[in-house]
Amino acid sequence: MLTARSRIPIRLFLGLALAIVLDTGVQLLWKTAVDSVPPAASMTLTVETAILQQPLFIVVGALMIAQLLNWLKVLAHADLSYAKPITSLSYVTVSVGSVILLGESIHLLQVAGIVMVIAGVWLVSRSGHAGAQPEMADR
Amino acid sequence: MSEIALGTLLVTMSTLVEGMGQTLLKKSWLDLRRRALWVTLGVALLLLDIVFYSGALWFLPVSTAFPISGLSFAVAVVFSWWLLSETVTPTRWAGVILIVGGASLVVAFS
Repeated sequence: MLTARSRIPIRLFLGLALAIVLDTGVQLLWKTAVDSVPPAASMTLTVETAILQQPLFIVVGALMIAQLLNWLKVLAHADLSYAKPITSLSYVTVSVGSVILLGESIHLLQVAGIVMVIAGVWLVSRSGHAGAQPEMADR
Repeated sequence: MSEIALGTLLVTMSTLVEGMGQTLLKKSWLDLRRRALWVTLGVALLLLDIVFYSGALWFLPVSTAFPISGLSFAVAVVFSWWLLSETVTPTRWAGVILIVGGASLVVAFS
């Protein structure tokens, strides 16, 4: 049974959900952008040249800034030891996205691993989202 | 050093740096008088994490690199408990162990 302490405020829930969505987008777009730059060339490329060659880096950068701002808000309302493990749900979304969007393969035991991650997140979600943080209550 | 070993080393370094960066970002809410300092240091470490992780992605597929970097979940919890004195209940530890175990499975068979 859920206790009052383990119920997640809607603002925190939305913040965590957004963190997972943004993390998934960053991971998949970042890989796509890096893959488009050959390893040998990437060692000698300046940041400016890399961005000109692959504008996706700009999108990734913008998503990372959004990710940081959202994450700071999340941390205002939850313990780091609660919020960070919850975002491991992006394992699930990145793995599925890698298969569907990037054409990478997935093993049956990887699916078992994903199930373990989901079970772990479920346990963490039942452990209460914040300890005593009186000065953060109205942020 | 093989490409896989180099990629694994880079992503491991990125994991530790990210865990510390996250800890400093949380610290910014616990020490509001020096909030700017903690946010700046935290962001600096997260940028360093980006450098390490970008390097790792040249040598590893994202389906391998991302789960390894997921060890930062455990690192963040240990740092939260150790450096921020957060209360980590047995249920939360169990959840984190499951998450890391699940990530290991994903890594082992990628």
